[in-house]
Amino acid sequence: MEKKTKDFKHLEKWQSTLANCIRCGYCFEHCPMFKHTSWESDAPRAKIITAFGLLSGEVEPSESAADKMFSCFFCGRCEAACSSGVPLTEIFIDAKKDLVEMGLKGPGTTSTTELNCARCLICVGSCPHDARFYDGKGIATDPTKCQSCGICLDVCPAGAAKIKNDFGTNSDNLIERAATFLDTHESAKAIIFACNWSYYPELQASLLPESETRDKGYEILVNMCGGRLGAHLLMAPFLHNAWGVMAAVCPDGDCRHDGNLRAKKVIETLRNTFKSIDINPERIQLVQIPAGDKTLFQAEIDTFIDTLNQLGPIR
Amino acid sequence: MKKIDETRLKNIVGEHNIKTDPSDLYIYGSDSSVHHAMPWAIVRPETTRQVQDIMRYANQDMIPVTARGGGSGMCGQTVPIQGGIILDMKRMNKILEINLKDVYCRVEPGVVDDDLNLALKPYGVFYPPTPASSRIATIGGEIANNASGVRSVKYGATRDAVLGMQVVLANGDLVHLGARTRVEASGYQLHKLMVGSEGTLGIVVEATLSFVPIPEFRCMGVANFDSLKDAGDAIGSIMAAGAVPSMLELVDSVAIKAVNKTMNLGLKEVAAALIFEADGMVQEAVDYEINKMKAICKQHNGQDIYASYDPKEREKIFMGRKKLFPALSKYDDNLASTALADDMAVPYSKMAEMAEKIHEIADRHHIVMTAYGHCGSGCMHTKILMDTRRKDQWDDAKQAITEVYDYVRSVNGTTSAEHGIGLSKAASFKLEKSDSLTLLASIKKAIDPHNILNPGKLSQAPENWVTATNLRYSVNS
Ligand SMILES: Cc1cc2nc3c(=O)[nH]c(=O)nc-3n(C[C@H](O)[C@H](O)[C@H](O)COP(=O)(O)OP(=O)(O)OC[C@H]3O[C@@H](n4cnc5c(N)ncnc54)[C@H](O)[C@@H]3O)c2cc1C
Ligand code: SF4
Ligand code: SF4
Ligand code: SF4
Repeated sequence: MEKKTKDFKHLEKWQSTLANCIRCGYCFEHCPMFKHTSWESDAPRAKIITAFGLLSGEVEPSESAADKMFSCFFCGRCEAACSSGVPLTEIFIDAKKDLVEMGLKGPGTTSTTELNCARCLICVGSCPHDARFYDGKGIATDPTKCQSCGICLDVCPAGAAKIKNDFGTNSDNLIERAATFLDTHESAKAIIFACNWSYYPELQASLLPESETRDKGYEILVNMCGGRLGAHLLMAPFLHNAWGVMAAVCPDGDCRHDGNLRAKKVIETLRNTFKSIDINPERIQLVQIPAGDKTLFQAEIDTFIDTLNQLGPIR
Repeated sequence: MKKIDETRLKNIVGEHNIKTDPSDLYIYGSDSSVHHAMPWAIVRPETTRQVQDIMRYANQDMIPVTARGGGSGMCGQTVPIQGGIILDMKRMNKILEINLKDVYCRVEPGVVDDDLNLALKPYGVFYPPTPASSRIATIGGEIANNASGVRSVKYGATRDAVLGMQVVLANGDLVHLGARTRVEASGYQLHKLMVGSEGTLGIVVEATLSFVPIPEFRCMGVANFDSLKDAGDAIGSIMAAGAVPSMLELVDSVAIKAVNKTMNLGLKEVAAALIFEADGMVQEAVDYEINKMKAICKQHNGQDIYASYDPKEREKIFMGRKKLFPALSKYDDNLASTALADDMAVPYSKMAEMAEKIHEIADRHHIVMTAYGHCGSGCMHTKILMDTRRKDQWDDAKQAITEVYDYVRSVNGTTSAEHGIGLSKAASFKLEKSDSLTLLASIKKAIDPHNILNPGKLSQAPENWVTATNLRYSVNS
């Protein structure tokens, strides 16, 4: 096959690194996008293959190829798990830079701004990656800087900031999944929201027999980053008779987007609100879990469920 | 490219379960091997019925169909060299039944190996074949490749754990093969024929698998050797003495150096090391096996021999082996770790000679090769480290693996112990099985008369595949 190298000046330097990816697929299970769709095209390995194909000229720089390169929540888990030390997110960013220069901008998981934006600039100040700015007409996002943390979505008072390609991580989706679990399981008590770091993936792609899940007391929902834990999301399970809600985020200093700090504040406020309306604040809790510490995470869940059992349902 | 009837496929699996964009096809054109080829469409069935409908259509229009699980095959088994449909089985992902009374479980083919073991763990049992790729490999892919792993020396390969299965044939018919019993002597054991058939005989849509109790005690040990020969002889003696290791692994000096160089593990740089393990329900029984293996290592000039039950110590012992993959990838920025001739098996007594041979051949052809593997089952792994951009390195590698395989066959070994044949190993496979190729072809023709199931693999693979064309790497001429 004849190979023509296109003008990928940022991506070019990764040529031998791309060949070093042994295509083992060890990164699959860590990626929330792959776990949501189970399409290999959404797995980290697929992006490495795409980047390789773009460089070698075997993949046309098309909108669909760009959409793949622009879809990533930058959780960095694939990188940490990579068998071959491939710095995936750095490669993604360089590929994005080249594609933007070719006029291809995704959006993939890049956040965008709808017309109802009030231009309050709150998102601009909240973005941990300096990706949002006023371009003279409205609020724009620099797609090479945006790391899809979703914080702008949560702070935007007008609901104008959006991640269109959300891979099941938007609040509406999570609220619906929480409701379905609570409404269909008699023994359901709690919803655990976990960021993609604090919750080490368990069953990645398979479904258990119904008999195994019937008596589940809680459901774990991965919401990508603690920075996206808004009050409406955390409160939603209570409308479906949850006894409690727990959120798991990274330890201080470990979050790439400082989303854990935001989560702490939101939960503190909610606990105070609970107190003021005479609901035990222990029903809403935040735990900080170092990456991959399954044992600690399970222990925290068990303690939380014990607490809820003592408290009983909310009357 | 032949036209496929997208509307018809959409009617079968639904609009969202088919992809035909070139950027998706490119991704699905490769697996963990060195090969690449473009399919025409990716289709994701969810039910047996859908698989049957797809096969009926493909058979009628003579469109190639290649089943795909995790895409972790190392020899190009899922690379569609004649194009056609990739049947992505990952949506058939239900664990259907865990039957403790009858000691079996039933699963759909897209269930990931680790997921199955996670589901079995609360019952104190496990599914043992478990390849190193268990976090991505699916049961369907493992069946099609007869996958095995570090513990297969004691617990057997996939073939030993499969009791029965449901298979959709090329014409769309559904057949029930095997049984849900431990033994069966009712005619041809067709389910065992499906194991290792690499998707060329049918699409597995359900499997009945056996499982075993998780052992209470596990003890792991290590011994260093100043010569590969001593280590190899120790392996032979351990197996011949009737010891029952649950793991018996060899790592050679190249592997040890690679791990030290890239991970700074500070392992003693000896010619070879053996890692051994025994497990069981009674500690005395485990002690007995471990002591036997320690004594044999000592007889063969093993040094620094020690063993431990402590999980942390065990992890430390196994670390060098576990980190080998990343170590080889990072060995040298200009060298990529390629899977070409990577899993041959030889009789125990030839293990040491084989390892030495690999080094000698690699040196002569200016590439780096390492020898390690599940020696307890006679399986030797190698990786070829080379500059994949240089055409001459591919020629050297090709020459080297030809020589390695010539040696393997000359000592009555086999081309593949666990990763299968696919494309990469077809040349040696054809020589090894030369007197049964006609038989294989007639079985294939009887089951798949239009040759639509994963065509161009095994004995149908093109002669000269490992050249600079159709590789997933960019090779400068
Ligand atoms: C890092 C790494 C380590 C590995 N370690 C080991 C190891 O220790 N032991 C070992 O044995 N292998 C190992 N392998 C090889 C590979 O993982 C196994 O062969 C595994 O069984 C492949 O499973 P898969 O689901 O990825 O199959 P795929 O690669 O998707 O497919 C493999 C073959 O199975 C066929 N197939 C898939 N599903 C079906 C189905 N439902 N019906 C019919 N045919 C089907 C395909 O057509 C193809 O021929 C390793 C691979 C990697 C990348
Ligand atoms: S960084 Fe996270 S979201 Fe992005 S590809 Fe890796 S695992 Fe997936
Ligand atoms: S884990 Fe690393 S080497 Fe393996 S497929 Fe993913 S990016 Fe490639
Ligand atoms: S806040 Fe996060 S999602 Fe929003 S623009 Fe910044 S990086 Fe992107």
